[in-house]
This record gives sequence, C-alpha cells and structure tokens, in this order.
Amino acid sequence: MMRTTLDLTWRLLRGGGRRNLLGSLLTLAAVAVCTGLLLFAVTANLAFAQRAHADSWRHPGKADAHPVMIEALATDHVRDEPITVVDLAALKPDAPAPPGMPRFPRPGETWTSPALARLMKDLPADQLAGRLPARAGTLGRDALIHPGELVAVVGRAPGDPAMTAGRNDLSGVENTAAPTRIAAYATGAATFSGVYQALVAIASVLMAVPLLVFGGAAARLTVARRDRRLAALRLVGATPGQVVAITTAEAVITAAAGAVAGTVLYAAAIPALMHITIAGGGWYASDLWPGLAVVAAVLAAVPVLVGASAVVGLRRVVVGPLGVARRETPPAMRAVRPLVLVAVVIAFGAVSGGLTGLGRTGLVIMLVFLMLAFLAINLAGPWVVALIGRITVGLARGPARLLAGRRLMDDPRSAWRTVAGVALTGFVAGFLALLGGVSTGTKASDELQLTVPPARASAVAEQIKGRLGGIDAAVTVKPPSTGDPAPDAAGVDPPADAAVVTVAVRGGSAAVDRARTALAAAVPGQAATTPADQDRGQDRLLSDLRTGALTVLVVSFLIAITSAGITGASAVLDRRQAYAMLRLAGTPLKVLDRARRQETLIPLVVMGGGSLATGLFFAAPFAIGFGASGAVTLAAFVAVGFGGIAGASALSRPLLRSVTTDPAPTPD
Amino acid sequence: MSTPHPAEPVLAGRGLAKRFGTAVALDGVDLAVARAEAVAIMGPSGSGKSTLLHCLAGIMRPDAGEVHLLGQRIDALGERRRSALRRTRFGFVFQFGQLLPELPAEENVALPLMLNGTPRREAVKVARSWFGPLGLGGMERRRPGELSGGQAQRVAIARALAPRPAVVFADEPTGALDQATGHETMRLLREATRHNDASLVVVTHDTSVARWCDRTVEVRDGRVQQPVPGAA
Repeated sequence: MMRTTLDLTWRLLRGGGRRNLLGSLLTLAAVAVCTGLLLFAVTANLAFAQRAHADSWRHPGKADAHPVMIEALATDHVRDEPITVVDLAALKPDAPAPPGMPRFPRPGETWTSPALARLMKDLPADQLAGRLPARAGTLGRDALIHPGELVAVVGRAPGDPAMTAGRNDLSGVENTAAPTRIAAYATGAATFSGVYQALVAIASVLMAVPLLVFGGAAARLTVARRDRRLAALRLVGATPGQVVAITTAEAVITAAAGAVAGTVLYAAAIPALMHITIAGGGWYASDLWPGLAVVAAVLAAVPVLVGASAVVGLRRVVVGPLGVARRETPPAMRAVRPLVLVAVVIAFGAVSGGLTGLGRTGLVIMLVFLMLAFLAINLAGPWVVALIGRITVGLARGPARLLAGRRLMDDPRSAWRTVAGVALTGFVAGFLALLGGVSTGTKASDELQLTVPPARASAVAEQIKGRLGGIDAAVTVKPPSTGDPAPDAAGVDPPADAAVVTVAVRGGSAAVDRARTALAAAVPGQAATTPADQDRGQDRLLSDLRTGALTVLVVSFLIAITSAGITGASAVLDRRQAYAMLRLAGTPLKVLDRARRQETLIPLVVMGGGSLATGLFFAAPFAIGFGASGAVTLAAFVAVGFGGIAGASALSRPLLRSVTTDPAPTPD
Repeated sequence: MSTPHPAEPVLAGRGLAKRFGTAVALDGVDLAVARAEAVAIMGPSGSGKSTLLHCLAGIMRPDAGEVHLLGQRIDALGERRRSALRRTRFGFVFQFGQLLPELPAEENVALPLMLNGTPRREAVKVARSWFGPLGLGGMERRRPGELSGGQAQRVAIARALAPRPAVVFADEPTGALDQATGHETMRLLREATRHNDASLVVVTHDTSVARWCDRTVEVRDGRVQQPVPGAA
C-alpha cells in the first residue's frame, strides 16, 4: 500500500513531463504578449501626453496684464505639408526661452526643426527659404511633436507688422493664433491635442479590456494543466495550503518570466512602432519608452495579477478532491447577460444628448459609459457564443461541425476570449475605414488665397502681381459677399468685412511653392493657403482616427491570435485521452482537426466579421465614391488577421497528432 | 466448457512478432477468433497482451506475421485503410476516458456512425435504440460527467456496437469499476456482442473478467501459453 502511494506520488511529480512544460510555455507566451501590449496601451497615453506638452507652448494663452513677450502662430505649407510658424517678440529682456531653444530668438532670425532645415537646404530658396528670415539655429526635441515635423520659430521686433496683424483660422484645427501679449508659455494641452488624448484613452480601454480578460485566462491555463495532478495530490493527502503554494509559485514564476519577455518584446517593437503616423508624423523612440517606473510597475503587477488569478482558478481543486474530476452540463448562460448590454445602451441613449454641453465632465462620463459598454459586451459575448454554438449544433450534419458546436456550447467563454477584441474593435475599424478618404484631394491645391480688408483688396492684388514675376498665375479679387450667400471655393465663408485675393497658379507644386514664397510677406502674419490646405487638418484627423482604429484592430488580432493558439492547445490537452481513444477507434485526424478549426473560426467569422460588416454598412452612406483605399487596407488587415488566427490555431495540429499517435490507450 | 470453433475464423493472427527497440513485445503469436466467440487475453504487465490487441485491431503493424479479418489480410494495409477498418469493422471499449465530455451520451454513441457517413438524424436514432437494452433509458441527453463509471462504460459499449462491428476489442473494460459494477458491465458487454453476432477480444489481468469469455489465452514474454479453458 505504502509502495503504491509512493509510486503514485512519484509518477504524479514526474508525470507532467513535456506536456505540462508545454502548458507553462504557452502561459509564458501569453503573458509576454499581454505584457507587451499592456505596455503599448500605457505608453500610447504617455506618448500623446508628451506630444500635447510639446504642442502646448505654441498656442498663446490668454493675454496677460504684465506681458514679457508677444507670441503668434501661423501655418504655412510647402509641398502640401504644413509648416508651423511661431512668431515671437520680446517685450522685456528677461523673456523666457521657448522649449527646445537655448535662448529667446533675436529679431530677424529663424530657428527651425531639423526636418525643416533639411528641406530649406534641399529646395531652391525661392520655394521655401526665401519666406523666412535667416536661419540661426536648430530647435531641440522639446519644441517638436514628432521627428519629421516642420517648425519655424521666428524672432521679431515688437513693432513688426507680423506681431500686430490678426490671423485667419480657416481650418478650424487651431493652427493659427493672433499675436497675444503673454507672461509665460502655455502648458495645458490645446483643445486639439486634448481630443487626441481622449481618443487614445478610449483606444487604451479598447485594448486593455480584452487583455485583462485574456490575461486572466492565460493565468488559469497553468492551473488547468495541473488540475488532474493537483486533485490527485489532494487525494494522496497534500494539504490545501501546500497545493495552493506550489501552484501559485509556479504561476508567478512563469508570469514573471513572461512579463520580462513581454518587456523585451515591446522594446524590440519600438523601432517599428515609431513609424505609426499620427498627426502627420511618427514618434520619438523616447516617447514610446514608458520609463523605468512604469516598466517596474508592470513587471511587478503582472505576476501578482497572474498569481491572484491562479489562486481563483485553484479554488475548484482545493474545495474538494473530486471537484475537477466530474464534468457536468454547464448551466445555460442566463439571458440577463444580453439584457445588461441593452440596459447600458438605453441608458447611454438617454444621457448622451446632454453630454456635449458638459465639456470635460461630459468626456469623463462618456469614457465611463464606454467602459461600461465594453464590460456589458464582454458579459453578453459568451451568451452570444453559446447561442452560435447552439445554432451550429442544430445545423450540423457532419461530426466535425457537431463537435465544434458542442465545444462552443460547452465553454463559450474561451471562444469569446479569442474573438472578443476583434468583435469589440471591428465596428469602429469598419466604420472609420470607409470614412478615411472622404475629402482628400477633392479640393484645389493650386489656388492660393489671401484674406484682406476690402479696402486694400485691389492694392494687395496689384502688389502681388508685381511679386509674382516669372510665375504663371492669374490673380483675381472676390469682394465681400453682398447679398450672395454662396460660400467660396473652400466652402468657408470669409469674414463679412474681408475680401479674398485668389492666385491661381499653373505649373505644379514647385510653382505653387514659389508663389507661396513670393507672397510670404504680402499680408503680414498671413500665409497664402489653398482650399486643400484648409481641409488638411480635418483630413488628418480622420486619417488619424483610421490609423488609430487599425492599430487597435491589429492589437486585437494579436490578442486573438495568441488566444487562438492557447485555447487550441489547451482544448487538445484537455481532451487528449478522448482524442487518443477516438483515433484508435479509427477517427480520421482530419475530422478532429476540422472540429478544432471550426471551433475558432465560426465565432470569429460571425462576431468579428459581423461587427466589421456592421461598421462598414453604417459608414457606407458617407463614403459613396470615396474611401476605397481605406476599405482595401481594412480588407488586407482582416485577411492577415484571420490568416494569423487560423495559423495560430493550426499550431495545435502537431500537438493533436502527437497526443493521438501515442499507441498506448492508457492515461499518461 | 468450450465452444466448438467454426472452420473459418473471423479474425486470425499468425506468427505475430513485434519489438520496441531491444524489448521483445510479441514473439511469434498465433490466435484465431471465431464468429461471436469471446476470447480473453491475460497476462502480467509487460507480457505483450496490449501489443497483441493493437496488432490484431490494426492500430499497430507487426514486424512479422499476418492479421486476417474475414479471410482478408489487413496488417499490410496503409494507415488510412486500417483507420477506416477500425471505424467500420471493429468496436473499442477502453478502461475510461473514451467519451467526449462535451457531447451528450447519445451523440457520443452516434459519433462513429456519423464518421461512417450515416446522416446525423438517423445516427442519433440508431444510437438511442441502444440505451434501453443497456439499462440506460433516460440518460440519452446526459453528459459523460453526469454518468456514473458503470453507466459511462455502458455508453462506451453502445458506442462500440452501434456501427455493428465484426469484432469488439476491450482493454481492461472494468479496470476503473468496483467488482459488482464490473460484473454487470461484462455481462452486458458479453450479451450485447453475442446478440449482434460480434466476436469479443478482452485484454485483462482479472480472472473474474476472463470468466465471462469462452476461452482464455495466456500471454507471457510475448508468447502464448497453452490454452486454458474458460468457465462461461
């Protein structure tokens, strides 16, 4: 008897062998992916905060009673790229140096970003350099939003016309500001950067919710692998405390290794992430590195969370030695799950009308609702998966589909974990994919416009004609609209007391840039803009939204791919005995394999594909004739994502083969 | 009392040999099983009895010797054909764990029929017809986890017999059961195979299980000892 016990214990300790090691490796990989993506979600917020910080000083705040300087902001363009021009004039000798500069700029000198400096050197002076005073230095990184940004800081005398003339903001994206007498540079995020920060917060929630759900599942995977062994340990008399301690320690160690691997993975991905273009440019590597404090916090938190999750998973084993051996019909998912979602949607509908007037509070309420909606979707998701499973079973003719459907009904949560991210982001990505290209390139990019007081219109027109010598251009003046409500070519009404001087340039973008340079100081403080320029800000916002949505979709697909690999492998391991027996009894491997594949792909196609298609459907009315490129991009992403998921789930095929070719029909 | 052997055996192994590395598992075994006959293969652990079952059932290919089913040689067939043969002509009952936990009992029984191409509705109908005779009435929709060990084993018997196989192979079919349940399970297995004109090959180390068979074959060190008459 004693001998049997010893023999059993020995077998249990050793018996896990390669397969338990595989379970641990899968957990490690899952934790690594989770950690890497978590770092990404956190860092994205920090990076946008950094951008907002680098942007804030350019926007003069409210006029100060005791000013030390005058600041103004204008936006010029070259090669259809915007140049941010900050004009500064010191009123007192102790005017503070702007961020990224060693001192306050002296009148008549220009400091430029490295990218603008390069462009000024590469292009002929009459296309770019001629517009600005002589270059005196290069702006440091603190002054810049992104490495490729075109920025010029121009020092002027307080009496310079450019420091007194107003600015016209036709684009609506805060890229101009009239000269303002201020005592210090603004530090709070400008409205537009604030919008980006809010959006990235939403994106983080979108990424983090499935991550947490999936991370918890990965944590329990180690435990699931050991269920039988642990139950047996309990049977041979291990105390619950010992069992918990052994398993938690294992899970925590695995998670710690995974967290380190994930951090390395994230660090390795930074060079690629730097190329994600938002607001017209990529990122500084330092913006994407979260800093030691955040890394340390994540490295500490992830193992703790995984350990806690493992303890929760262990409860079942510890409660009773027979607890895990039995397998019963899972109780049907309660219909209250989808009802919670409906309730949240209705509540949001009731509240949303009043949100726009609430400013920041409204945004917070909106974010809370978004979080609630995701949690509710997460609650309803498994219910829907179970429903899909029931329908699949009902329609199944062959054994593979029957097996797949039964598996979905049996454990809808694990299938939901795989598709959750794609289902959650699919709608947004589908919607934005079509909107992305709405107005790009539809407006004239060779008609430069200047807004001037009506009285001076003809004088300016004459002056311009003189400046344009050698450039093939037609100058026209459009008087202020009197009784003619039709908007001008840009679709933006000029101020009632202003006339628009239009210069139609022939000869392509080089000629347009020459004309821009020629017109540089024609109206103080104003750069000539084309209708296309004026739309660029809005276009950029839309394309940023699309980039953001696709990024989140990629992350979701990554989660889905890892999750498909994990659930696939654990499904095979869980059923290895039954599979081995089925195989011995002559079941073709391909039936089992097909069942395994369908178990992942059916819910993915129905829920992920469904939400994408819904998003596309809702966006379609806004996008007739446009946005084809967005749809193509989306299609490519989806094809790669679905392929990746199918591939990851195919990884368990060799595992299936190995557990089913074991010739001994005895439990391992 | 031993049953007379009909001239033509349903299943026959001749001169079967198999080694794993240097270990000899089978060393020239001859065994013939007649129609509806029940044969127990007994022997201590490592005697080669499971290897013999695997060779006879086409799970494993012997290094030497031949296996014939109804006069047709099967050991030389490719894995795909042997797999199809196991699906259609053989039934299997193992010690435990052969039922898929997510399928209700009736679908577990219907699965091999569906694998053989029977439409689902009909397969389930056939499967259900096995529940009453095996004392499983009312358990059709239960999951394996909701069945006792003996009930699960009876579902496994139904599954092995539903495709009307020529031979049922059972490897320690009562190994996980208490004695009384084991007896009942063997009685049902024997009755069901006899009723369906199927032969039965049982690997066991338990003489009380062997007692249900027509005769017993002792395997020791990969060889068959002289036949011992069984008590049916």
